[in-house]
Order: sequence, then C-alpha cells, then structure tokens
Amino acid sequence: MTSDPGFWILQGLNALQLSMLLFLLSVGLTVIFGLMHFVNLAHGALYALGAYVAASVAAAVGYWPALIAAPLAVALVGVVLYGGLIKRMRKAGPMSQVLVTFGLIFAMLDLTRIIWGDFALGIDVPQILSGRAAFLGIEYPIYRLFIIALGGLAFVALTLVLSRTQIGAMIRAGVDNDEMAACLGINVEKLFFIVFCVGCGLAGLAGAIAAPLLSVTPDMGLQILIPTLIVIVIGGLGSLQGAIAGSLIYGFVQTFGAVLAPQLASVLIYALLAAVLVIKPAGLFPAKG
Amino acid sequence: MFRHTPLRIATLVLLGAAAILYGLNAEYFGLEILTEIAILAILVIALDMVAGFGGMVSLFHGALMGIGAYGFTLLATKAGVAPLPAMIGAMALGGVVGWIVGAICARTHGIYFIMATLAFGQMAYSYIFESSFFGGDDGLSGAPRLDLSGLGIDLNDSRGFAFFALALLLAAYLAAVAILRSGLGRSVTGILHSEQRMRALGLNVWRVKAAIFGLSGVLAGLAGTLAAQHIMYVSPGLLAWTVSGEALVVVILGGLGTLVGPVVGAAFFVLLKHEVSAHTTHWHLVVGVILIAVVMSRANGIFGWLEARVARWQGRTHAAKTGNLALEGDSDA
Amino acid sequence: MKTTLKTALAGLATCLAFTPALAEDIKVGLLLPYSGVYASLGQDIDDGFALALETYGAETGATFDLIREDTEVSPPVGLAKTRKLVLQDKVDVMAGIVSSGVLGAVRDMVHGSKVPLIVANAGNDEATGESCSPYVVRLSFSNGQVNRPMGQWMFDQGITKVYTLAPDYAAGHQMIDAFAEAFTAAGGEIVGQEYTPFRKTQDFGPYLTKAQASGAEAVFVFYAGGEAISFVKQYDSFGLKTDLPLYGSGFLTSSLYVNAQGPAAEGVITALHYVPTIDSVENKDFVAAFTEKTGRIPSEYAVHGYDSARALIEATKTGASDRETIAAALGKVSFTGPRGPLSIDPATNNLIQLIYVYETVAGETGLTQKVLATLPAQQDPVNGCVLK
Repeated sequence: MTSDPGFWILQGLNALQLSMLLFLLSVGLTVIFGLMHFVNLAHGALYALGAYVAASVAAAVGYWPALIAAPLAVALVGVVLYGGLIKRMRKAGPMSQVLVTFGLIFAMLDLTRIIWGDFALGIDVPQILSGRAAFLGIEYPIYRLFIIALGGLAFVALTLVLSRTQIGAMIRAGVDNDEMAACLGINVEKLFFIVFCVGCGLAGLAGAIAAPLLSVTPDMGLQILIPTLIVIVIGGLGSLQGAIAGSLIYGFVQTFGAVLAPQLASVLIYALLAAVLVIKPAGLFPAKG
Repeated sequence: MFRHTPLRIATLVLLGAAAILYGLNAEYFGLEILTEIAILAILVIALDMVAGFGGMVSLFHGALMGIGAYGFTLLATKAGVAPLPAMIGAMALGGVVGWIVGAICARTHGIYFIMATLAFGQMAYSYIFESSFFGGDDGLSGAPRLDLSGLGIDLNDSRGFAFFALALLLAAYLAAVAILRSGLGRSVTGILHSEQRMRALGLNVWRVKAAIFGLSGVLAGLAGTLAAQHIMYVSPGLLAWTVSGEALVVVILGGLGTLVGPVVGAAFFVLLKHEVSAHTTHWHLVVGVILIAVVMSRANGIFGWLEARVARWQGRTHAAKTGNLALEGDSDA
Repeated sequence: MKTTLKTALAGLATCLAFTPALAEDIKVGLLLPYSGVYASLGQDIDDGFALALETYGAETGATFDLIREDTEVSPPVGLAKTRKLVLQDKVDVMAGIVSSGVLGAVRDMVHGSKVPLIVANAGNDEATGESCSPYVVRLSFSNGQVNRPMGQWMFDQGITKVYTLAPDYAAGHQMIDAFAEAFTAAGGEIVGQEYTPFRKTQDFGPYLTKAQASGAEAVFVFYAGGEAISFVKQYDSFGLKTDLPLYGSGFLTSSLYVNAQGPAAEGVITALHYVPTIDSVENKDFVAAFTEKTGRIPSEYAVHGYDSARALIEATKTGASDRETIAAALGKVSFTGPRGPLSIDPATNNLIQLIYVYETVAGETGLTQKVLATLPAQQDPVNGCVLK
C-alpha cells in the first residue's frame, strides 16, 4: 500500500478536504475572537443549524438554493443573537461569554430536536457535483474537490478583503487595538456587528456543504466544536493565517494518523494541542504579540 | 482569601439542616438525588478552589473525577485492595494527575488555559474510551462500597450511603476552607489579583498554581470514588468534557469564588434537572435558558446575587463592605 | 465484597417481594432513551411496544401499567432509573435498553433484585453469554447471531477476500469477529481490518482509501445511526460500490434511516433479523397497523418493542403475575411474529430466530428491501452461560 503514489495522493486530498471544512468553520470563530475577544462556543450549534436549514431547503427546492439559503438564515440568526445577547455581553468578560454561549448550545440543541426531530436527515448532491473526476492516475469524488475549492476560494477572498479593502483595514485596526480604532473614527460597534454576522454565515455555509457528506443529526454541532476549537487554538486566536495553518495541521494529522497509527489517531491531536500550548502558549500565529 | 460571613454560615446551616431532614424522610429516589447532589457538590467545591480563587477555569475536572472513579474501581476490583485504601489511593492519583496538569498548564492564561485543560481532559477521555484495559465504552462494573458495618452503618442501604456522602461533602468543604486560608490559599488569591506583583515578590507562581490544582484534584478524585461507589459502575462518560462544562455551569449558577454558592448551585442544578426531565425530554433547553438568564443578569450566580443584596442592605447602616470577586475571574488574561 | 453486595440486594428484593401485588395488574417499567443520540430508536421501540399491547392485550386477563424512564443512553443514568423502578415503583417486570453499555451497567442490579428484564435492543454477546441471567431475556438479537451466518453465505456467493470496517467499541468488535470467524471457517480470507474511533469519525475517506488499496473483493462493515448514513454515502461517492461491493450487518441500511442515505444505499447487501418487506401474513398485518398508528414504516427496533410486549403477554397468559413467575414464564415463550417463528433458547435466554439477507433497492416510494435469502434459525453458542 505504501508504494503506490496514488494512495498517498488520495489520502492527501482527504486531508485537504477535512482541512477546508474546518477552515470555513474556524475562520469565522477566530476573526470574531480577534476583533471582539469573544469566544462563541455556540459556533458548532450554528453549523448544525446551517446543515438543517440546508436539508430542509434542499428537500423542497434543491441543492443550490439550499447552499445560498443556509448561510443567509444562519447569518440572520446571528443578527438576532447579536442584538439580543452578544451586544450586552461585550463588556462582561470572557467567562460570562463562554457561559452564555454554553447555554446557547444547550438551548439550540433542543430547539433543533423540537423543529426537525431526532431522525437523521440527508441531502443528495446535485448531478454536476456527483460522480468522480479522474486525474494523476486516481479518481476522486467531485463533491470533495468542490469542498476543497470552496475552502481555498474563501481563504483567498478573505485574505484579499482583509489586506486590500477599506473594511479589511478597519478590521485589522480593530484587531490590533479596538480603542485606538474607535478614536480614529471607525464605527467599531458596526464593525463587530458585520464581522459577527459574516462569521455566523460562514458557519452556516460550512454546515450546508458538510450536510451531503455527513449525516445531519442534532449532535453534529457538538461533534465539530472540539475540532474547531483545537484548530483555532493551535493556529492562534484571531488570525487568518492561524486558522488556515491550524486547519491544515488538524486535517493532515487526523488523516495520516488514521492511516499510519490507527490506535493513536484520536489521542494524537490532543497531544499535539497540549504540546503547542506548552511550547507556544498563544498558538502558532497569534494575531498580536 | 475565603471568609465566613454570617450569611455564608447561615446558608450552610440551613443547607445542612435541609439535607438531614430530607435524608431522614426521603424515599428511595429522593435519597439517590441527595447522594447525587453531595457528589456534584464535592466536585464543584474542587472546581471553585481553582476557578473562583485562582482564576484557573478548568475543563479538566470531569477527567479528574473520572480518574478517581476508575482508580478506585481498578484498585478495588483488579488489584484486590480493600475499599478504604483504594479510596485513598484514588484520591492520591487525582492529586498527582492534577498537579502534573496544573504544572503544565500554569504558563497559559484565560481562554488558552481553558483550552489546554480541555485538551488534557479529552486525551484522558479518548484513552480510557479506547483502552480495553479500562473496559472501553462499556466501562467497568463491580466497584464495591466501603464497609462501615463496624460503626453500625450499612452503606448498601441508600439512606446510609446518602449520609456517608453528605459527611464526606462536609469534610471536603472544611478541607477546602482550610486550604484557602493557608499560606498557599493566600498566594493563590494574590496571583489572581496580580500575577506580576506576586512574581516580583519572589513567589514561584507555577509551583503555587500546580499545588492548588493538585489539591483540587484530590477533592475531585474523592468525588470520583464516591460516584463509583454510588452507582457501583464506571464508564468513560464520567470523563467527557460536557461533565466539566456542567460542573462549571453549576459553579457559575451558584456563585463563583464563594465556595458556599457552588454547593447551593449543585443542589439547584440536580433538583432542576430531575424536575424538568420528569416533564419533558427537553431539559437542556430549560437549563440553557436559565443559564443565559443568570449570566445576563450580571449577578455572580444565585448566591452572589444574595450576597450583593445583603451587602447593599448592610451598606445603609455600616460602612460599605468589600465586594466579592466578580465574574471576570481571569483578570490577568 | 461483590457477593455480599449481591446478597444484600437479594435480601432487599425478598423484603420487597412480600408487598402483595394485585394479580391482574402488572407494573411494567420501560427503560428507553427518549433523549440523546438514540432517541429515535427509543421512540420506535416504544411505539412497537404500545402497538402490541393494543393488538394482543385482550388475550390475557392481566392489565399493564407502564412507567417510562429515560436512560439518556448513559450507563449511570440507566442504572439509577433501573434502581428507581425496582426499589421505588416496585415494578413487576422491565423492558427496553437500547445500548449495550447500559445493559452491562444494569445487569447486576437486575440479577440481584430478581426483577425480569426483557431486552428490546442491546445486542452484546455477554448478556446472554458469560454474564447471562435467568432474569434477563432477550427479544431482540445478539451481535454474533446477526452476522455469523453472513460468513458462509458470502463465501457461497464466490467471495474469497474481504476487508472489514467497524466502529472501535465492543459491539463493533463482536459483530465483525462473528462474521470473520464464520467467513474464515468457510474458507475465505480477511485481507484487512480497521476499527474507526467510535462517534468521533465523520470522514471515512482515509479508511475507504485503505480498503480500496487492500486487494479485497468485497467490504463487510457494521455501522449504525448517523455513522451508517455518512459511511454509505461516502462509500458511494468514492465510487467503490461497483468494483468493491458493500456488504454488512443489516443495521447499516436500516429502514429507519435508509432514505437519508438516498441512492447511495442502492445495491448494498446486508443481513438482519427483520426487514419490513418479509412476505408473511403476520408481518403484513404488523406493517399495516404500525404505519397506520405512526405514519412510519416499522424498523427492526419497532419489532423489538412489539415482540417484547408480545412475549410479556404470552408469559402472563400462563398465569404469571409477579416477578418470579414472569421471569420463569418469559424463558419459555414461543410464538410466530412479524420476523417468523420465535423461541427462547433455554440455555442462554437469547432469542432463536431467522436471519434475512436483503438488498436495498429503489421502490415506488423511496428505498425498500428485497429479501435475497432466508437463513435458518440461528442459535448462539452457549458462551459460558449458566442460567441460575
């Protein structure tokens, strides 16, 4: 098995696909943290919500509308959460914020069960994305390539927005020092609001693209939460480079751990996280010194 | 540092009286609930020691409890150790593991500390879950209860065991108070207020943090040995991060850094859970909403709110009293 | 210590047994997950149980008083609820238990208190093997029973090299071990085996790629619930189904969630003790009644609940009315249900039943099950069970 290059290419693609899914989830969480110093543990619940909305919309009108509706719906939930909870919790310190969002996890878990029931849902992939593509002597599912492409696209787009646009400059200023940014006339409140909603929307998008690959169950949000947190802590809270680096590390360690040392696979990633925290307590690419 | 205000003493006396009265009159399931409260209360006292007084918000305490429970069960069933030395051994194990994890995590602060403890907790969970030596997903059965028949107490009787758990809760509480009042306890609170100042004073910060975390681990281990004896069965679920998360919720609901508050929180949480789950399977929703409401109210939990009210009332006649630790435990993050 | 505990429990139970129960009114404790990951299974079992009481309740003079308790799929919670049913509610008989972990946790309590328990799902082999009990009667299946016959059957289809996959926990190992043992005994070869971290594996890609490179002619797996849905869809998306046909334990494509798998499940061949398309009068009546009551097609879980209640009714028809007599009568019941003729193995208290090999095919309304073969009634080896 080890001599066949096709095998390793396939596994590399598997790792990349997992990384990109995690990147879409973690980037929203990490930028929200960098800007607002707010850890939203309910991010996983928003991802599950995105998957459920996508499953419902896809069942009614098809996959493509679902791919658009899910992020929008979750962003809308973000608007409500921001107005109702987050805005008031801004000055409350990290502990309270962690706990409020912990309460949100509980509440949203049961709300999805009440609305969608306990039965697992599934989505079918549209014709154009089903099937496999052949290249480099291997065959790989098109839908997985689509996820890789979407993740890559999101990374490029976010990098450009952050480095080239005015709002990107404002966000960077806010991450560096939000009080100074406010003094310079930047409407920090509005900035927080936008970033929070975009972050939620990205979580919804991740849910929608994960839905056809995995099954949609009430506990999918809890399942993905820990990997997402590991990604952003390894990468360093608040930075885009950190999110992509953390996602890649997680994806490759998890995939190749499963291939090469299956007995250690689940402990490996936690050991890595502990090692990173001991050696570089603020992660590999912290947003600020 | 921890002080016994009249309100705290009054609450403790009231709680103790209620527990004894309830314990003497309750039916079987009531006694189960009482035991459950006592075990959870010991765990949250251990957690409040580090989180409320040391600013170390830990998601490792579920794992510490699980280590105590597994340590006890393995010593008592596979190694053939008598239950009492097995209990002491398991508590020591909790202390040693707590000390090591505390020492490693001491460098990190705030959210990074939370994440580091989460990582160690998940490592312990995954390891036990997948190891056949620990019974894997199916867990281990056969944990014996302590034999106190020499004292005329039958621990195989629910009532006897409930009072045994309550007695250990009292012991754990007194131990926590003694630790927090000692030199070590003062250093811990000093570090919470200003780590830099304590460092400048020549204090070895990580050593203090590791020591308090280790002592907290002993108490969490005690909770674990009791949990194992109570259900006579251990499973990896004891170590899951949600157990730590719930313990943290209980500490906050009760009142962080008040020691008495978390005990109130434990009673409130267990009773609420049983009441709500008797009526609906959606108890998570109710608990979630209550948690959000408590945190949003800006009060330091149920007991913190009570203390603030009493302090305000006293403030009219006396000079203003010093407030308690606010929710923002990790101020030096 | 363990023995003193058991004597203590037994003593407690004898004291309680003196409470005279009304001969005609039987208190039944239902221990099922009404919340948590297996909530949908619990619901199906509960619906099946209720349906059988409605259908056959009139055949016996006894009436049944149901007390439902949520085990939350958590062993400690399940044990606490069992104790409540035994000590506080003083039930005459209990039924339910979805997860093997919960069954393992409550076994000693059930045995010590001598309150009969009808297992309506949990399949761990030990429950009717080395840790069997005269008070534990299983009306569902055992992990080995469902998978063992597939070893010979697949070899008979001309398959000689198989790769296996299952989640890394006790049930996963038992299901695969039973299959692998029978398959190698028949002359086949297991060319590779992998156990994936239980409930933590969402992406099976790395394992599928390994299976593809293994040189196997077919893949045999056990997955259930959410993992089964992800697995079947991902197996199909990698295009493995044509060159490397997928076989497995029938829970893989359970009628409970096969429609969430969609076309990906078409052509998957698995074995199970029940499928809704079994061609018999008993089954057709059952499917019609269940569908009318709930709006769903009954799954194997619904049948577990249905037959559990049916067994209880059969037991009471012999005049059994308290813990001891119900336990004795349950071990002797036999009847023909939706799955075919059923009887309890006197050596282990496990059910003896037929196994159906079925293929998931497209039907008029969604996916349906085409029975390919009915394998003879399966009786587990005694596995060190001594009923006393």
